[in-house]
Amino acid sequence: MLGALLYLRLTSLKNIALSRLRRLKQPKYFLGAVAGIAYIYFIFSRQLSGGSTALAGLPAGLPGGLAPTFDFNATLSVFGALVLLGIVLFTWALPKEKPGLPFSEAEVAFLFPAPISRRRLIHFRLLGAQLRILFSAVIFTLLSRGWSFLGGDALTHVLGWWLILTTVNLHLTGAALTINRHIDNGANPAVRRWLILAGVALLLLVSTLSIANAAPPFPEGNIGPADFFSWLARCLDTGLLHGLLIPGKLVIAPFLAANYAEFFRTIGPAALILIGHYFWVARQETSFEEASIAYAEKRAARLARLRDGTYRLGQDKAKARREPFRLRVPGRVEVAFLWKNLLGTLPYFHARVWLGCALLTCVAVPWIVRGEHQKTGANIIITFTALFSAYTLLLGPQLARQDLRSDLPHADILKTYPLAGWQIILGEILTPIAILTGLLWLNLLALVLALAPMADKITWLTPGFRLTAGLCLAGVIPVLFALQLLIPNAAALLFPAWFQATRQRSGGIDVMGQRLIFVFGQLLVILLSLFPAVLGAALVIFASQWLIGASAAVVLGTLVALTILGVEVACGLWWLGERFEKFDLATELRP
Amino acid sequence: MIEVSGLTKRYGTFTAVRDLSFTVQPGEVLGLVGPNGAGKTSTLRSLAGIIPANAGRIHIGGVDLAADPVGAKHQLAFFPDEPRLFDYLTVRQHLNFVARIYGVADHATLAQPLLEELEIADKADQLPGELSRGMKQKLAIACGLLHGPRVMFFDEPLTGLDPLGIRRMKDSILSRARAGAAIVLSSHLLHLLEEVCSHVLILKKGEKIAHGTLAEISAQFAQGETGVSLEEIFIRATGGSEN
Repeated sequence: MLGALLYLRLTSLKNIALSRLRRLKQPKYFLGAVAGIAYIYFIFSRQLSGGSTALAGLPAGLPGGLAPTFDFNATLSVFGALVLLGIVLFTWALPKEKPGLPFSEAEVAFLFPAPISRRRLIHFRLLGAQLRILFSAVIFTLLSRGWSFLGGDALTHVLGWWLILTTVNLHLTGAALTINRHIDNGANPAVRRWLILAGVALLLLVSTLSIANAAPPFPEGNIGPADFFSWLARCLDTGLLHGLLIPGKLVIAPFLAANYAEFFRTIGPAALILIGHYFWVARQETSFEEASIAYAEKRAARLARLRDGTYRLGQDKAKARREPFRLRVPGRVEVAFLWKNLLGTLPYFHARVWLGCALLTCVAVPWIVRGEHQKTGANIIITFTALFSAYTLLLGPQLARQDLRSDLPHADILKTYPLAGWQIILGEILTPIAILTGLLWLNLLALVLALAPMADKITWLTPGFRLTAGLCLAGVIPVLFALQLLIPNAAALLFPAWFQATRQRSGGIDVMGQRLIFVFGQLLVILLSLFPAVLGAALVIFASQWLIGASAAVVLGTLVALTILGVEVACGLWWLGERFEKFDLATELRP
Repeated sequence: MIEVSGLTKRYGTFTAVRDLSFTVQPGEVLGLVGPNGAGKTSTLRSLAGIIPANAGRIHIGGVDLAADPVGAKHQLAFFPDEPRLFDYLTVRQHLNFVARIYGVADHATLAQPLLEELEIADKADQLPGELSRGMKQKLAIACGLLHGPRVMFFDEPLTGLDPLGIRRMKDSILSRARAGAAIVLSSHLLHLLEEVCSHVLILKKGEKIAHGTLAEISAQFAQGETGVSLEEIFIRATGGSEN
């Protein structure tokens, strides 16, 4: 049994490696591999040499912004245990039907009819998962080596990760088998689920009440993020939740051990939990085949969609849903693409949801920044909005792909439409523009509201200036996203073979390198495109603020920036439209 | 209605279609036939403006496809062999979308009889994933017919259809031709040519081997014999192989 499993895994690994090596003959994979290897070398060589841990001026390797008194391990232990508790609750509450064990279609075809007992099949599955768990443990250790403040060394971290991941895997398997047994014994899946959800709701209610009663006081004075998270961890580790978090903390403890003595002291309870889980799983004699076959089929369909680049998170099975708005005929054709692509996104991207979020922001942010701790609340919101804005601007156009990149498989149909190329391109990019703009507008609203307490120290940050600057930024955001989205769409049209390779989410250093090349290419082009607009706006603001005041200068600068960006977007649309009209998909979409 | 002169399509050094010329008048159905790799799909895709031709002129209803692609495309519809549908649009939403693209103002009044004619009216609120292969094909056809095209291109129109679906598809093509549409279809199925096509164009390695009515083609390759089957004529015309 073990021999067969090892043969299957090792032969598959060998063949994957060989096929990846063979495809390096193609320049697109070779260049991607070079970029990927360079990236991995850069990241891991720094981690292994401890480069990133040596933060200047910090004692004991504490990361930037954290006070020396901050007990990082205790805080991490609470949040880690909370994550594990969340996984456990979701594992039990989520399944709407019998959950299957993660066998592949080939494993189902070969192993299920074979003379192998159910228990052996379960062990086959558990052993099969070990290879992935060990690999993950090594990768996670490499990634977390930079956290020298954790203590321990590579061995304790690998073993710590292995313990956590194996325990989680055993729990998932045991829960799946138990739910199968309950349903086989006549439990109604819907009733079972609602009972568990009601239990979780009750748990949340009791935990919230106990936290409200026994939570430690909020720290005095002007506190930083470390004090805030430490206080939050102490709040969560109160009352009922304190008890519920204990198993998770025990499982995480070996990973967080500062040295070998602590590691050996903590490994006992963690190992007992793991062994208990193993016996719970191994003793079960439950029918899981039917659910596993259904799981394998779903997984195969999902993998097929991943391979052809049409997979979207949370949308395994498409459902007809209400239109985002009424599409009137006749009307501008570009809006039809917006309407169509919005229908293909998550239902949350709807005007009413946006309005609700905006109202909530208008109520919540002023409430958070009120009273004696207004600066702390404002600092947290400003930090969060700044980080979120940076990530959205940087990664948003790569992640929001409801445009030509998703519609390339339909390129032959699009080309039969009686439309100019620029109309199709504009229509296609409207949906990601709308989604990303909506996200940043909400963010901007929170930022403008959170800046209110700062007006005490920064005299020019008047309500009028905040409003003017906010509106100006709101006007620039959609044009900025239009410019950014033109670049990945241009890449899809100019280098379709490369693009097809990167949208197939297959693994490999070479594919990772290709994605990196695309991201850096986009960054470079966007910086070059932004330079004239930023320079023009800055010059106008600098030159005019003495004469017309700061607010009016910002408006004038924004108009200059919008004009430059608008011309760039128009030129980009026209050029890309021409490219689309000449796009020979019979030639270009050959891999 | 469809005028093609000197159409040439190359992929790198490989020539898929070479110097092809023909016309299709209103009411005519032209069948494109030939062995695998003869250039049928490349020809159809070039005619529909999906892929650019390397040389030659294509006029659709008098409009030059290269000079005014938007004007030409307003008059045509292309039906691929596999229905390409948007996963997240229901049947009705597909028609709404196409109506906006083609500017079909009274689409609601046009769509309903079309859906009923194609027997998918009861599926109007379903997604493509919930439809059978034949239903998807019907939806693709409904989308193509909504704007009342005068020129239609069908690529292997009978692929994946059951016998009843095949009968209905043939009837649909003939009724559109009788209404004055110019139709070009590609197919490997010779009986489709006999039953539907008024003219036949035989391609081999991208070149025109023969073009004319079925009677003219039969006369050309029967070599004086009587009762020669269409299959035999096709084999004689193409030399019996792909090469």
